[in-house]
Amino acid sequence: MIRFKSIISRIVILHVIAVAITSILMSLALSWLLNRATINIHNDAMEEQAASVAHHLVARPDGSLALELPPDLQGLYSQPYGRYSYAVVDERGKTLFSSLKDNAPIFSVEPGAAAVQFLETHHSGAVISGASVRRAVGGKTVWVQAAEDMANRDVLIDDIVDDFYKNVGWITLPILLVLLVTDIAIFRRALRPLRQASEIAQQISPARTDVRLPVSEIPSEVRPLVSAINQALDRLDQGFRVQREFTADAAHELRTPLSILRTRVETLDDQRIAKALHLDIESMSRVVGQLLDIAELEAFTIDPTERADAQGVCAEVAESIAPLALEQGREIALLGVSTPVWVKGNAEMMKRAIRNLAENAIKHAPPETVVEFVVEESGTVKVLDRGPGIAPEERELIFQRFWRRDRNQQGSTGLGLSIVQRIVELHGASIAVENRVLGGAQFSLHFVAADKTA
Amino acid sequence: MRLLVVEDNAQLSQLLAKGLGIAGYETDLLATAAEARGALLTTSYAAVILDLGLPDGDGLAILRELRHRKDPTPVLVLTARGGLQDRVNGLRSGADDYLVKPFALEELVARLEAQLRRPGQQLGSSLHIANLEFDLRNRQASIDDQPQVLSSRETAVLELLMRSKGRVVSKKQVEDHIFGLAGDVASNAIEVYVHRLRKQLSDKGAKVQIHTIRGVGYLIAEEKRDPV
Repeated sequence: MIRFKSIISRIVILHVIAVAITSILMSLALSWLLNRATINIHNDAMEEQAASVAHHLVARPDGSLALELPPDLQGLYSQPYGRYSYAVVDERGKTLFSSLKDNAPIFSVEPGAAAVQFLETHHSGAVISGASVRRAVGGKTVWVQAAEDMANRDVLIDDIVDDFYKNVGWITLPILLVLLVTDIAIFRRALRPLRQASEIAQQISPARTDVRLPVSEIPSEVRPLVSAINQALDRLDQGFRVQREFTADAAHELRTPLSILRTRVETLDDQRIAKALHLDIESMSRVVGQLLDIAELEAFTIDPTERADAQGVCAEVAESIAPLALEQGREIALLGVSTPVWVKGNAEMMKRAIRNLAENAIKHAPPETVVEFVVEESGTVKVLDRGPGIAPEERELIFQRFWRRDRNQQGSTGLGLSIVQRIVELHGASIAVENRVLGGAQFSLHFVAADKTA
Repeated sequence: MRLLVVEDNAQLSQLLAKGLGIAGYETDLLATAAEARGALLTTSYAAVILDLGLPDGDGLAILRELRHRKDPTPVLVLTARGGLQDRVNGLRSGADDYLVKPFALEELVARLEAQLRRPGQQLGSSLHIANLEFDLRNRQASIDDQPQVLSSRETAVLELLMRSKGRVVSKKQVEDHIFGLAGDVASNAIEVYVHRLRKQLSDKGAKVQIHTIRGVGYLIAEEKRDPV
């Protein structure tokens, strides 16, 4: 069984087969009809010729018959011409008159034959076809026969029959092809709602699970499929909603008690204990925040048309993180281009990724060093530090969830870089880790440049 | 100065009242959207601290109603919802600021003060960092209570930095603040003013430091004693 990829190609192929069969059948039917028509014309002509020969039969007073053909008819039946012949045969089968040289009958006569007969015979290798007409002349019954040698047929009729395909028959093919083209156009039109539905279906993403395919325009044959897809989307939507609601509920249930704890600690009288507890709460809050970030990212996708200014995003991150860095004795510098760099992506998500990289860099950078942000025209954002760098064998591991070099390190969750990784994936971007020549790590995020005019 | 705290968690609102009390604010505590609506119709507060997840409705609805009435009371939204869309929705609904739980009480107070110090709001007086004071009414800087003589542009830079205490002020913001929209600014003009200001402050013994964040802007902070 041949498998066709599209309905249109299936229709075209089947239609071409149908067209081929139809054009053969139609030609056969037409030529059969044409043949019948020429035979009828021939038979009518022969009957008429027999009748006109019979017209010249005269009964003599002695009871015998005489045939007095006028000269033009004599000419028609003359031997050299040989195309037409006649014969008059009596009841006993005796030939009374004949244009044939041996005075023979054209067709043998059976007594009691019908008044008009169309017969065919072979005569010295040629096909002779004609009519035998019964007549009563002078009280005698005779058969007047007229025939034509088929080898010498009327040239005009021959031409029509022979050139039928060349002159007339070919018209069926273009007619059928026009029909084929028309049918393709009709089918394309009929399938348009399906194409439109496909375009709508392309917009569906975890961020846009509210999209449903339009059912009203869809042909009834395909409607069950479209309805089934819509129902599947409903269930999917429900799944995403549950996930989002869980994230929101979890956020509330975790963050409110943390707020209480934090505020309670901050209003403690003993500032020494308060400070220690505060650090614990701080790292706990970070873990909770990052877990919730991850949960949110699971159900998040980026609108492909969304764009963001990578330079602006970096500037915002640098601005927001600078106080923290200064507090810990590290400096922040934003280098590279200072004009907007448009890339495909979600600004808030990019901010989170770059912020995570920056927090990581600040944590690993030695005091009194600079953590640098570099924005490049191409859409690449780099975060550089002067820390210990990352060993080649760890460059894959660092992006795994909960991976930490030192499991006892305070305030480290091992989630930050996996969040970065996930955001990079969502953006269709890439991340590279290198060590700097003079020491330190360099993380490069390569975002996809966006159209400036969009 | 009286604040309205709308928070359904009794423990948290008690603690907020305590913390804000220490910072010098009186608070009314309400736990439902209905009560908050009533209170906001009858009482004028200096600012509102609003939790979004209330048992009888969304805090954002209260916020929208308030803004619909053209009520300019600063509203600081507190929420557990740190999600991207939530943040945008909150600010679009007319929130002046947005704090995601868990937040530091210190930050809440700082942001509250930033709102209350905006033009037309109630907190006037002065700003302090270490031994440096800036009086907002007569735009006078003092170190250890000694009034200082600064040029008008240096004063403007100092005021902007001190109003944004703990946050970075972008170079662009400084330019806009000092030169407004008027004409071209020499590319290093701001750096010159900041440099002069920095020198004057350290000469006069101010225990503050103006940090330059390359490519970003400036930040004023208490001088860090050398790391131990």
